[in-house]
Amino acid sequence: MRGGRAARLGVAAAVVALIAAAPGVASPFIVQFIINVFLLAILAESWNIIGGFTGYASFGNVAFLGIGAYTTGILLTKASLPLAVALPAGGLAALLLAAAVGLPILRLKGHYFAIATLGVAETMREVVYNVEITGAGTGLVMPIARNPLLFFYLMLGILVAVTAVNWWLANSRFGYGLVAIREDEDAAVAMGIPTALYKTIAFALSGAFCGLAGGVFAYWITFIDPDAVFKVIVTIQMIIMAVFGGAGTVLGPLLGALVLASVSELLSTQVVTLAELFYGVIVILVVLFMPKGLVDVIRRRAFSARAVAATLREYRI
Amino acid sequence: MLLLQVLINGLLLGGLYGLMALGMSLIWGVMNIVNVAHGALIMLGAYLAFWMFTLWGWDPFLALPAVIVALFVYGYLLQRFLLNLVVRAQLFLTLLITFGLEVVMINVARMLWSSDLRQVTPAYAGANFAVGGLTIPYVRLWVFVTTAVLSVIFFVLLERTRLGRAIRATSEELRAARLAGIPVAHIYAVTFGLGAALAGAAGGLWGMLFPITPVMGGSLTLKSFVVAVLGGLGTMLGAVVGGLVLGLAESFTATYLGPTYPNAISFGLLVVILIVRPTGILGRAGSR
Amino acid sequence: MAILEARGVSKRFGGLAAVSDVSFDLHAGEILGLIGPNGSGKTTLVNVLTGALPASAGDVRFAGVSLRGVPPHEIGRRGVSRTFQVVKPFRNLSVADNVMVGALFGARGGTRDVTTARRQAEEILDFVGLAHRAAAAAEGLNVPERKRMELARALAMRPRVLMLDEVMAGLNPAEIDEAVVLIKRIRERGVSLIVIEHVMKAIRNLSDRILVLYHGERLTEGAPEAVLNDEKVIAAYLGRRYAEAARA
Repeated sequence: MRGGRAARLGVAAAVVALIAAAPGVASPFIVQFIINVFLLAILAESWNIIGGFTGYASFGNVAFLGIGAYTTGILLTKASLPLAVALPAGGLAALLLAAAVGLPILRLKGHYFAIATLGVAETMREVVYNVEITGAGTGLVMPIARNPLLFFYLMLGILVAVTAVNWWLANSRFGYGLVAIREDEDAAVAMGIPTALYKTIAFALSGAFCGLAGGVFAYWITFIDPDAVFKVIVTIQMIIMAVFGGAGTVLGPLLGALVLASVSELLSTQVVTLAELFYGVIVILVVLFMPKGLVDVIRRRAFSARAVAATLREYRI
Repeated sequence: MLLLQVLINGLLLGGLYGLMALGMSLIWGVMNIVNVAHGALIMLGAYLAFWMFTLWGWDPFLALPAVIVALFVYGYLLQRFLLNLVVRAQLFLTLLITFGLEVVMINVARMLWSSDLRQVTPAYAGANFAVGGLTIPYVRLWVFVTTAVLSVIFFVLLERTRLGRAIRATSEELRAARLAGIPVAHIYAVTFGLGAALAGAAGGLWGMLFPITPVMGGSLTLKSFVVAVLGGLGTMLGAVVGGLVLGLAESFTATYLGPTYPNAISFGLLVVILIVRPTGILGRAGSR
Repeated sequence: MAILEARGVSKRFGGLAAVSDVSFDLHAGEILGLIGPNGSGKTTLVNVLTGALPASAGDVRFAGVSLRGVPPHEIGRRGVSRTFQVVKPFRNLSVADNVMVGALFGARGGTRDVTTARRQAEEILDFVGLAHRAAAAAEGLNVPERKRMELARALAMRPRVLMLDEVMAGLNPAEIDEAVVLIKRIRERGVSLIVIEHVMKAIRNLSDRILVLYHGERLTEGAPEAVLNDEKVIAAYLGRRYAEAARA
């Protein structure tokens, strides 16, 4: 068992090292594309913590991306703080928001929780839109970064961190507690799991990583306004990437982000509309035909039409 | 006097919110599907009315029956051949698939009709009538009357007809309804069709008051949800009451706080209601 | 001192009194049978004792300490476990993982280390006779296996008090006999038990004492033979006329 785990960590480290070398060989266009994939993968892996492991499907994590972006942005522009301070502050702001919001709304179940999170995201957008310090509707212009590779390595670092957290969840007592909450919350309580605390921690972690990604994102795109940051399509993207890859698995969301972002990029060069349409269609197809995700399909070798039919039979009227 | 004006404005708008929420509440109550694409259906209704007005000169009120029929058919097909396939999946998956539908519908609308703002402006659009210091736009008044009429028709349909009984039976207990010989796949489809028809009608009416764009539906879905929850899920009357409450809340905040606040208020209201009294104003404890 | 003491426990839902002024003691190492016709409040009582529902009145003391206001997960941590009448498996986990959750949490916070917890789970599965199904998905188990897993999971919490809610429902006579043997072996490990059952043969075999609930109230309590032959108890289950006919 020990040897196997060490070998897998070795492979993972090698892969990361390989990716880290990419900017040396790839064109700037590819590098930009990879940074975008990193961002989406971070969001998907973050969502996985609360949606995949804990079973509380948040439809509002874009709020945390947003608050991270704006906190970092405001500290960079209005307070002229260095990124080394502004970025962690963004992550911290998102973590605190998630914990604060989580306390009341994690008590809600099913539809109510999902829509409440949607409401939180919308409210955040409206508040940012109406408030002076965020530049309101006009937005904020970031200082220009001297080293464009900075974003690549920052995003890579955050991605490695959030994936590591996911891995930790899959193998730790805390993670098993979250899974128990997902599977049967009443039973989890009866077994001595402090569910309210665990859910809040999971939500806060999820928010924190979205916030960190948001901070880097703001600096990367150099200009943020409410519409650029609080996009609903981002919510769809992070959820479907996690679900497509396999919600509740460690690598599923990452895989989902890679595959879907690549296909979307191939299909739609500049036309935003086509990309969004693609995601919408993918969502429908995935829910119908592979709701447990790619990792599950690969694991069970369930590639046949028969497997798909079995899923349909289980879910159809 | 300003107070009365704000009140009237709120009620007039609230009626429309109630109509929107009826559609969502019906689908949610019967099939436990929260239709995130509800706003997109409203948007489709608005565009349909707009094109009939622009291309053929049909008065939007008179075009309403056509919009209702068209959206009913669309909704029926959606449920029968798509949503029925995932009805018994986890709540999250049904939520996700309707989310996907919304994205598809919005983007198809963008591609077909562009993102330009549209407005339905019949000849009588700007006309008001004044009574005792109050100004009431004709259009708003007629919209309110229409929503009242449609709501009543809907109630009668649900409470007094065989179809309505079948719908209510299916919502109570799917398996028993099936055993009783009710064609549940068809009934589910009819239910969704009705919900879509109500959304379409609301859209056709909305388009007479506000600009139409492909993305107009997003906030309307949320508002419909707020109203449905506010009034109490499972009670149709609750949707109407909730609509009026939201309309009033928005009217008052717009007037006394500022025009950019109403959206934030409704969403904030939602979060508060879900925490304080999730069963809503008229709801019973233990209802979905 | 009894390990679990209930004093004047009541639970009301609106106007309905599901449990009314119930008091009893559970002594260390005892098996207390809890019987009563359907709707007499047995499961509600267990829900109150484990904190799943707050009591409307009365107090529960575990090892001398009051459980008033203690949240349910904390009660589980202190060493009170239960099974559910309708089993609640963690469907997407394996049998071993299901039981492991019990070992990871549970009494005194359970085991911190996953590897140790896994070993403990294996031992428990062995004890209940489910070791051969350890790797199976919880979803695929049949009824007796599900009941055993539910039991194993609660046992993995290393409780001092274990409440079993109709574990034998749906079992055939041979399986019931096996269950009785298993429960007695659990007692031998130092666990005190409250067993809710409708299967009279099993209850008679298992219990040191039996407590009878009827309409939420304590009807009677005592040694198995005395209680099961008590006219009031027979009348409660089968009706007054049957009791009179039996007497005649």
